[in-house]
Amino acid sequence: MTALHLVWQAATVLVGGGLLGLVYKGFDRKLAARMQARIGPPLRQPFLDVGKLLVKESVVPKDAVGWLFKAMPFLAVIASFTVLLYLPWGPFPAILRSGGDAILVLYLLAVPAVAMALGGFASGSPLATVGAQREIVMLMSYEFPLAVAVVGVVWRLATLGGGPAFSLGAIAAAPLWALVGPLGVIGLAILAACLLIVTPAELSKIPFDIPEAETEIAGGLMVEYSGVYLALFYLADAAKTIAMAALVVTLFAPYGIAGLLGLSGAGAQAVDLVFHLLKIFVVMFAAVTTVRVAMARLKIDQVARGFWLQITAVAVAGLVLLVLDRMVVG
Amino acid sequence: MAETQNVYEIPIGPIHPALKEPIRFTFQVEGERIRGVDIRTGFAHRGIEFMAMKRNLIQILYLSERICGICSISHPIAITLAVERAAGIEVPPRAQYLRVIYSELERIHSHLLWAGVAAHELGFDTLLHLTWKVREQVLDLLEELSGNRIDYALPIYGGVRRDVAPEQIPKVEAMARYYRGLLDELLDAFLRDPSVEARTRNVGILTAEEADSLCAVGPTARASGLSKDVRQDRPYLVYGELGVKAITPRDYGLEPRGDVYDKAVVRLLEVAQSLDLIEKCLYEMPEGEITSFPKVPALLAHLKKAEGEGLGYHEAPRGEVIHYIRLEAGVEEPMVWKVKAPTYSNLMSWVPMFRDQEVADIPIVAASIDPCMCCMDRVHVVRDGSPGTVLKEELLRLSREKTERLTRHLSPVPRHGGAA
Amino acid sequence: MTADQVKKTLASAVPGLEAELRSRPVGVRTRVEVPELWATVSREGLVPAVAALKAAGPLHISVISGRDAGEGIELLYHFAVGYGTPGGEVTVTLRVTVSKSDPVLPSICHLLPGAETSEREKIEFLGLSFTGIPSTAHVFLPDDFPGHPWRKDDPETAKLVNRLVEWEGKNG
Repeated sequence: MTALHLVWQAATVLVGGGLLGLVYKGFDRKLAARMQARIGPPLRQPFLDVGKLLVKESVVPKDAVGWLFKAMPFLAVIASFTVLLYLPWGPFPAILRSGGDAILVLYLLAVPAVAMALGGFASGSPLATVGAQREIVMLMSYEFPLAVAVVGVVWRLATLGGGPAFSLGAIAAAPLWALVGPLGVIGLAILAACLLIVTPAELSKIPFDIPEAETEIAGGLMVEYSGVYLALFYLADAAKTIAMAALVVTLFAPYGIAGLLGLSGAGAQAVDLVFHLLKIFVVMFAAVTTVRVAMARLKIDQVARGFWLQITAVAVAGLVLLVLDRMVVG
Repeated sequence: MAETQNVYEIPIGPIHPALKEPIRFTFQVEGERIRGVDIRTGFAHRGIEFMAMKRNLIQILYLSERICGICSISHPIAITLAVERAAGIEVPPRAQYLRVIYSELERIHSHLLWAGVAAHELGFDTLLHLTWKVREQVLDLLEELSGNRIDYALPIYGGVRRDVAPEQIPKVEAMARYYRGLLDELLDAFLRDPSVEARTRNVGILTAEEADSLCAVGPTARASGLSKDVRQDRPYLVYGELGVKAITPRDYGLEPRGDVYDKAVVRLLEVAQSLDLIEKCLYEMPEGEITSFPKVPALLAHLKKAEGEGLGYHEAPRGEVIHYIRLEAGVEEPMVWKVKAPTYSNLMSWVPMFRDQEVADIPIVAASIDPCMCCMDRVHVVRDGSPGTVLKEELLRLSREKTERLTRHLSPVPRHGGAA
Repeated sequence: MTADQVKKTLASAVPGLEAELRSRPVGVRTRVEVPELWATVSREGLVPAVAALKAAGPLHISVISGRDAGEGIELLYHFAVGYGTPGGEVTVTLRVTVSKSDPVLPSICHLLPGAETSEREKIEFLGLSFTGIPSTAHVFLPDDFPGHPWRKDDPETAKLVNRLVEWEGKNG
């Protein structure tokens, strides 16, 4: 594989991921609107929004720490798009891969949240400061169940000797469901549920859109951001949505349908890729769109308590089941 | 609070997504806890007194309707009651029933409006959209009956301006049936939804003692368990005969706590109560005149001769509205016209309600009294207030000058940041 | 609580206080008389009268309306006594007149905290002062608003609008 080839592939994934993120955002908004008895914006609205933001003035508040304020949107975009490079895309392996990339992805997913919090603190607005504090609390709340779910799955695979340890590529190649015993299946199901609950929190969507909470703190973290910087955060969010949904799919449903259809070659790859994207969409629709139309926004203390106690307990129970399964099945 | 270094201020308003109308809260916040609040009002003070100063009572009636778009029946009802009392005008029986029908329709649309806003404040936009969708039914009916969605111009001194025609009665009944059928769903969506309950239970508590001593009115007081409803306590129009009973959370089988949840309970149950009242009025309403002064010039002449003072009170959707008027024979303008809107009375209840709440509770607690700033920041009329009395033309000229001045002073804003 | 009882309570609290009963006929099928009491009370008699009303039943203050009556400032305290039972509430209006040379009244906030907004409003609009009021901050007008808009003799009021324009030019 030549370096040029690699660059070309990476560019495809990055551009494709960004576009896909915006398309999915369009579907998310349209479907949410239909569920709320509204007509909703056209599907291309996210593209129009980004286009509009790019030509708008980018205001940096007088009280802001300028360089930090401007740097954070770039950091968020870089981190969330980098995750795309570490994820396998259906039949195509990840562009960048190494042992332990599952752990790396976890850290990369946390970076946009940290970047948003720092940008919020740097913007010098009291509303953004409240938002930033909330973002940090959110991060600390959902990070542990998220880590337990991801690490639990890749650890179990490693114990079964499937490929390089803690690698997303390995888990995609060898779905765990068939390899573990009944206890393990229950454990996996629990972890999958936990990950689905963490997804809207990770993406700051209702009921977990607490750091932005429009009616409380007027957009919170984002309140001082405008123009290009806001567009960058918007893109980072779109990419992160795809990344998070793709992570769920890779960990728990890395199946293709080309084999069932009896296809092979380029046709099989194309069908599997489409199927993969469809699964990502289903995850997003189930964990983000429907949840955000069906609930009220929770409060930060309710969320922190919920994640630290209930969700963590459930995730640990899932992990314990996987450990027991390892003892029983080996 | 011995430690003050961790306390910082969060300004909310006058322009803020949580507020539908301008008011400014400055919260002293420690972490996510509210330690104190300073409330500034007056941002919607429109100087209606200048406009009303040189106007006769009929013109003031239409002005009173514009104090608030949502209470555009409540204020006219209060002022007509006050003027009828001051000038000794009788209201025909049918008109009294019609006034009740119109004001109960207004209550339904106002409470549904509140329910939608409350859902939005909680971040539950689906509920907002669905509530406002069903609210359209009653607005359509009001439009059918009056010709307008708001500002209905229905009450007039001595009666009402429009009758409910026989062919319109089925439409009113259909509206009542529609909401009866929906009521369970509404109660389900607001009172039995776990995420709504998590955000409203034990939030923004106003105890019964506080509500009583601060003279809270309307659903705000009733949610704290006070059986306080002008329609029940001080009968007017035909409310006494209709047997209105103040609704408290006890009617829903709950011990009142005075929190936001209880306020939702009261408002939703009042929608059902209003439906009952409307239907009762439809069936009991006698035939007959709808106004004792069909000709406006005769009414004006009568009002000009009148001398006296009167109080008009009404239970608006948000609580007690009261108008005081004093008339002098020989002049068309009133000596005094004093308007008190419900939010004026409930303003003080915000202080205990915000105590030790979280920042996240600010929007819903602020909304829980269903504030109406434009009502509160209202009006006062003193006839011939000063040698510097300003006429409408003068005000218009002044406001145009101001606009021009503002436009002139708008210099190009210096650009920050790099992007185009 | 009937109007007569309230009337007696008032009379015993403030010697010589005679409340006038102006009933309001209400109803179509069954006419009832809804009682309204109107009484003129001296500045000194205000607090005892309100205390007596408070003792008589749950007390609600609707609003205080006021006007510049030429030689003095006339305030009307609109109360309602005894909410909670159908038709059981009595409207009581206390009329207090203070001279312009000494426009001071006792605050009733210690008896009825809900009166604060209304009293503060009278401070900014009529230039009154209330002894013992918890806060004197403006309710509706800007803090540096000149004059008292409802006073007819206020020299500031005469130039109110012009000043308003100036003020806006200075600050806006």
